[in-house]
Amino acid sequence: MKGKSRGKVILPCNGLDKEAGTLAREMALKLAEEGAELVCPVLFQRNPARYKKELGTGELLVIDGCKTGCASKLAKDKGLKIAGRLNVTEMLKEMGIRGGKKPVPDPEHLSRLLAALGGPGEEEAEGAEEVPSGLFTAHVEMNEFMEGKFFFKVPKAGYFFNENDCWARVEGTRARLGVSDYVQQSASDMVFFEPPEIGKELEQFDDAGSLESTKTALDIISPVSGKVVAVNGELVDAPELINQDPYISAWAVEVEMADFEGDRELLMDCEAYLAYLKEKVRKENQERFG
Amino acid sequence: MALETRPKFVGVLSCSGEEEPEGTIARNAVRLVMEKYRPGITVSLCLPLYLAGDSGEQEFAKRVPVIAVDGCEKACARLSTEKYSGEVSDAIDIRALLRQWGVEDELSRSHPRELEWELAERVAREIVRIIDRYIEEGKVAATNTR
Repeated sequence: MKGKSRGKVILPCNGLDKEAGTLAREMALKLAEEGAELVCPVLFQRNPARYKKELGTGELLVIDGCKTGCASKLAKDKGLKIAGRLNVTEMLKEMGIRGGKKPVPDPEHLSRLLAALGGPGEEEAEGAEEVPSGLFTAHVEMNEFMEGKFFFKVPKAGYFFNENDCWARVEGTRARLGVSDYVQQSASDMVFFEPPEIGKELEQFDDAGSLESTKTALDIISPVSGKVVAVNGELVDAPELINQDPYISAWAVEVEMADFEGDRELLMDCEAYLAYLKEKVRKENQERFG
Repeated sequence: MALETRPKFVGVLSCSGEEEPEGTIARNAVRLVMEKYRPGITVSLCLPLYLAGDSGEQEFAKRVPVIAVDGCEKACARLSTEKYSGEVSDAIDIRALLRQWGVEDELSRSHPRELEWELAERVAREIVRIIDRYIEEGKVAATNTR
């Protein structure tokens, strides 16, 4: 049976309300044992980019538990192409079975559902293409300073910052955007990165994706205007990169800039940001510790 | 006789448990509380339905104390509640609990064995402890415990 469902991506409802939801999940787990990729509806809703790779290459089978059709709604909301769709309540009804009101899967119901499971259709899901530029490979030297028990790094050159502690690393007409060492230390462990859509036009100070840490949620405020041409898939999979390497490997998006000379008037270069940050941290410490 | 205005239920919102074995433990622990330990007073909130914007689920979560039971530090259940219905009353992070309990065994996501069920039981008892505290503090009216 291994490999039978390879190439399929399953989005189940995963409800924990009635039997139908738990059966949807059990069916999905069985298909995963046969090689299908699973999409957690909750995690997908919160962080769609997490499943970009799977959804870009496999055919999508949606398994709803009840008539509410949460999984189908979710797929529709996110613009996914559905290759096949199952509804557990309707399948049980066709078998003359009334699903239980408690979220307890009946093994007999499960085996009948699995036996009735047909193959999904032929349509393929679409995924946006990422186009990283190949720039931004030069070594970055850092300035470092210590304030209280905190130790901060700021690049020596090539970066421009706004007062939201977001940076743009600029090369030619391209910029990579991210958040500073100060942000990662203040926010603590990063757990989610939701990037913007590729192709999105950004004005200066627009949101260029969002982050969630164990302490807070925040937006990446774009220091520059332009069009998003790539997002960092590695950061989607491992948001903790921001805590490890905020200025280089933890870039969030790459932008083809529209008006850097104009945007630059409202930004700080590395030296100015270093001075700004020192003062900011000093004041914070003063407020906190007196 | 004074009118009872306190909530009669405790809402429990479990992580959907698709990615990690801890998620399966979360689901099973919530089921144990609902079916075995504190039926009547415990109501599970359906997280996918909740996130799909169901006003009934979201409104319910605003009116009762909600315990978020998350499998891991991604905290989908807790963060979702906070986004749509306000602060959770209590939150459980199963991965953190397992660390605390010194559990290092490899766990199964799809085939809970004795160990996974034992862990679900332990997590269920943590949830029960919280529910009992709510009853003791008068946060919920314990008129429907069985």
